[in-house]
Amino acid sequence: MEVSLTAGAIGKIMSGEVTSEQDMMPVLQVTDLKHVKALQNPTSERFRMVLSDGTHLHQGMLGADLNILVKDGSLQSGSIVRLTQFVGSIVQQRRIVIVMVLEVIKTKSDIIGNPVPIKPSDQRGADSGIKLNTTGSEQQGRGESSGVRQVINTETGRSNAAISPQVVQRQVFGTGSSVPASTPSTRAFNNPSAGHVAPRQDYARMQTGDQWQPPPPLYANRGPVARNEAPPRIIPINGLSPYSGRWTIKARVTNKAELRQYSNPRGQGKVFSFDLLDADGGEIRVTCFNAVADQFYDQIVVGNLYLVSRGSLRPAQKNFNHLPNDYEITLDNASTIQQCYEEDAAIPRHQFHFRTIGDIESMENNSIIDVIGIVSSISTTVAIMKKNGTETQKRSLHLKDMSGRSVEVTMWGNFCNAEGQRLQNLCDSGGFPVLAVKAGRISEFNGKAVSTIGSSQLFIDPDFAEAQKLKDWFEREGKSVPCISISREFSGSARVDVRKTISQIKDEKLGTSEKPDWITVSATVIYMKFDNFCYTACPIMNGDRLCSKKVTSNGDGTWRCEKCDKSVDECDYRYILQLQIQDHTDITWVTAFQEAGEEIMGMSAKDLYHVKYVNEEEEKFESISRKVAFTKYILKLKVKEEAFGDEQRVKATVVKVDKLNYSSDTRSILDAMNKLRNRDAEGSHHSAEVVNTSIGSAGTRDPSSVERRDFGLHAHQSRQHGKYSSGHGPHGGGASSCNVCGNSGHVSANCPSVNDPQGQYRGMSGSYGGGPPRQHVGSY
Amino acid sequence: MDTSSPSAFVNGALLRRYIGQKVRTVIQVIGSDTGSVVGKSTDDLQIVVRGPSTTPPLTTYLEVIGIAESDNSIRAETWTNFGNTFDPQNYNELCKLASGEFKHLFI
Repeated sequence: MEVSLTAGAIGKIMSGEVTSEQDMMPVLQVTDLKHVKALQNPTSERFRMVLSDGTHLHQGMLGADLNILVKDGSLQSGSIVRLTQFVGSIVQQRRIVIVMVLEVIKTKSDIIGNPVPIKPSDQRGADSGIKLNTTGSEQQGRGESSGVRQVINTETGRSNAAISPQVVQRQVFGTGSSVPASTPSTRAFNNPSAGHVAPRQDYARMQTGDQWQPPPPLYANRGPVARNEAPPRIIPINGLSPYSGRWTIKARVTNKAELRQYSNPRGQGKVFSFDLLDADGGEIRVTCFNAVADQFYDQIVVGNLYLVSRGSLRPAQKNFNHLPNDYEITLDNASTIQQCYEEDAAIPRHQFHFRTIGDIESMENNSIIDVIGIVSSISTTVAIMKKNGTETQKRSLHLKDMSGRSVEVTMWGNFCNAEGQRLQNLCDSGGFPVLAVKAGRISEFNGKAVSTIGSSQLFIDPDFAEAQKLKDWFEREGKSVPCISISREFSGSARVDVRKTISQIKDEKLGTSEKPDWITVSATVIYMKFDNFCYTACPIMNGDRLCSKKVTSNGDGTWRCEKCDKSVDECDYRYILQLQIQDHTDITWVTAFQEAGEEIMGMSAKDLYHVKYVNEEEEKFESISRKVAFTKYILKLKVKEEAFGDEQRVKATVVKVDKLNYSSDTRSILDAMNKLRNRDAEGSHHSAEVVNTSIGSAGTRDPSSVERRDFGLHAHQSRQHGKYSSGHGPHGGGASSCNVCGNSGHVSANCPSVNDPQGQYRGMSGSYGGGPPRQHVGSY
Repeated sequence: MDTSSPSAFVNGALLRRYIGQKVRTVIQVIGSDTGSVVGKSTDDLQIVVRGPSTTPPLTTYLEVIGIAESDNSIRAETWTNFGNTFDPQNYNELCKLASGEFKHLFI
């Protein structure tokens, strides 16, 4: 009778789909049957057989009860059997079919099909659990099934020494891949010395490991003795996850932190950590506490290769751990670290993700980056008092790179002395060393700067490609290229000196975003509003700042400040100039407050006030104002959109006035020309201005803007009359149009345009004095 | 402004292009004799200026307007003291642009 074998059964058993007769009772052919002896018990015999489903072969063990079948010949090589009670279990990480009961369908038969040994695919890794004690090959005739179960359950086979020899277990079937595995397997069994009982050891394992794994010899007798170690699968660091089960990584230590004592509500302890980098570029931090820390601290040396296994994985603490990995490893007593003495060139010493300095400008504050550059200058160490009262060292240097930008790098603590001193020496002797920073933090004070943190590393003149490229660039051009620093020296808002033309204010809709825009323009003062060039301000000091809120006259010569709730005899006069400025592109109104006003007018507000109102020296006043007009300045403007009643208006405040330095201005114009030329646009007409710097620009006005100006004048004049009638304090007259900003809907007293540079004010009545003076404190 | 005889902006190298024509340039005074001044042009070439016999006190930089006699001398009609601070590089760029790309704007 032709019996057909259950196709694919072997495959299913191997993969675990079929684990016992509950799933299926496959019909298989025994292609080989061997008698094996267990060393422990020389008297008992077991039979190993190779089962086939017609396409694949696999190892199986015959339950001792079934030995008689073999002995009396009903079961032999070639027999076709149906497994009625069996287990496909993992024995020493290989799946073995252990047959308790079978039914012989046909005793004699030719080998069906051309079966080949099935690849033992992933058995090894699959299940850590079974740690058996391979003591010997002799099987005991014991309750197989229970024995087997027991084996499996007693995980580490720790159970009892008594059982272990008996639970001899299903042999280690050699290298699952070869059928005539008996030899190897017996070899495996002949591990007599192999961890017999108590020392749970698997030297046996190790040796088996020998057969099919390259690295094994390393483990023999080395490392902390732990449980049964299967030859470790080395997985890439990036593949680690808390669900990884047993894993091993081979990596190089890139960084080692100091052993640190700590105390937290749970008690005291010590901790140290180190970072690992493997061949795939994966990085992860490893932390050890207390006893484990002691154990491994001395073992770990930066730069060496280690095999680390059996630690627990948890999510990384992003505050402290800046490596690109979501997890970090914590080692415990069961973990092992073994040093690999053979070098592995595939694993780099360090890994960096460099950003250019130009990128830093756009990156977020407090982010961690790596950066590399040429040290253009370095200063000496200073001692700084920290917030908690302790002192620390600080040292800053400037780093330049190919993006044409330079950034200030601040070193803290130890870095100042160690690397800092070395860098200083190099620089003093005229060199320009390359510095690579790993894990530096971007901070934002005075522009962007990079500072070191606890886990930063500094490398001077490092030995890799980027460093070489930088050096070459520097030799060629870097030395002379002026680098724009993204770090500011003086205090002030983090702002780069952005040069714009007035038309760009409108075109680019500056000021319309959340924050005010700070720009610099080179423009000429065309017109100044003569009325209300100043206001009466409260002179009372509020802390270390002038109150400067607008004071109202009490009628008897004293002045009352709402904010301070006091009256003063003498009030301050502070500038609040409305100016029209113009460059070759456009014209706009700006407001200048006290400091800027003084710079422009050339005298204090009080004096000017006296000239005009007190002494009524019209002529003098006029000459002064004439002087003001048509002088060109570099003006730093703060542009912000504000709501005036219904509409949004973009207002510009003059924050700083600088005299035009023709030389540098010319240079920047030349640069702009070059850029323009390079962009293939038609040449700009700036060349004309190069010579005729001051007056030129105004002269080239086109009619439309002139009109505007006139119109402006006109409007002023008409309103001025209305204004005058209400006396010198800027009280709103009857007119509903504000003569301060030209908008309707409110009066000058309420004019929201007259507000502080910070834009915090919205038209509140009578309150306009308070804001502007705040600029005093240089808070922009 | 009298535009009847425009003078071209030149530096040392450009002077030869305008021999016989009216030119203007700024030089850094190196030495002076009666009737002539030796100076360094903005591109570091030597230029001799032959001018009126009276040599008024000269500042470091001097603008000379006159006829170019040869590729390194000018017969000055007017000269003006430009002071001690002057940016020769910018001027140099100007000369180059004025006789090159933007010639049409000047002459």
